Amino acid sequence: MSSTTTAAGRGSGPPVLCVLDRAYRGAVEAQFFHALYGLLDLHGQFQRVDVALRGAAVTLAVEEDVYRPSVRLGTMTLDTLPDYRGSVRDLVAEDFTVFVDRDAVTALGFDPQRLVAGTVLLDPAELALRWPEYDQVWFV
Amino acid sequence: MARMERRVWDLLLILTAAPHSGDVVTSALRLSQAVLDRGGSVRVWACGYANMMTQDTFGDTKLPNTRDPEGHYPSPSAVVQRMIADGDGRFGWIACTACSEERGAVHHVPQVRHRSPLRLATTIAGARQTLYLGGA
Repeated sequence: MSSTTTAAGRGSGPPVLCVLDRAYRGAVEAQFFHALYGLLDLHGQFQRVDVALRGAAVTLAVEEDVYRPSVRLGTMTLDTLPDYRGSVRDLVAEDFTVFVDRDAVTALGFDPQRLVAGTVLLDPAELALRWPEYDQVWFV
Repeated sequence: MARMERRVWDLLLILTAAPHSGDVVTSALRLSQAVLDRGGSVRVWACGYANMMTQDTFGDTKLPNTRDPEGHYPSPSAVVQRMIADGDGRFGWIACTACSEERGAVHHVPQVRHRSPLRLATTIAGARQTLYLGGA
């Protein structure tokens, strides 16, 4: 159904930069309904929505192709847990700019070359320079 | 007069973290399942906002996923109900009545046992091991 959501920039709301610092917000109780889903679902209301991942949230953009989020509880296999990498790929595919804080990536021991394709690696001080491009900055 | 045997559970998990705040709920459920898989029994005591998970107002599924309207997404209460049913008497879920009332979250699914915090010590005494998860 991602084809029903077109590129960012069709809505009348102000251009917004969403800053995410906190990565993990539940799995079984959240499933698809997590912060990145919210951005994917709501961005049609705004002229533009971009995302800045900082702190532990940069791990959402670390490319990973083996792990499948799934858990067995009783006789049920729940394979609808948050797929953050998939959501970051969706954000990029739908024309969000996804900034990833370089210092946080290296501080956590990840390779800056191994991020989801299309994300933009940024030095921490550079992000603040981009704030004037947006009418609002949200700390999500 | 026959003396009533009090049931002893293998593990009591006191879940003090709010759902959607971290990995604690998922960890508690996975830990419970691991104990059940080894043949043990587990009881969860929901403290604070953990009582929101078993409200009967959820229904069986989460709200529709607009990006996957055909997908199946069980609600938190459905997950707990399923674990209780599949646990065949070895998995139990307790709602704290004080925490539930404080949050106006008093409509739990019928499989959940309601218990006053005044019975916390008794509940702990009824388990071989007790683990607090969440840090409240």
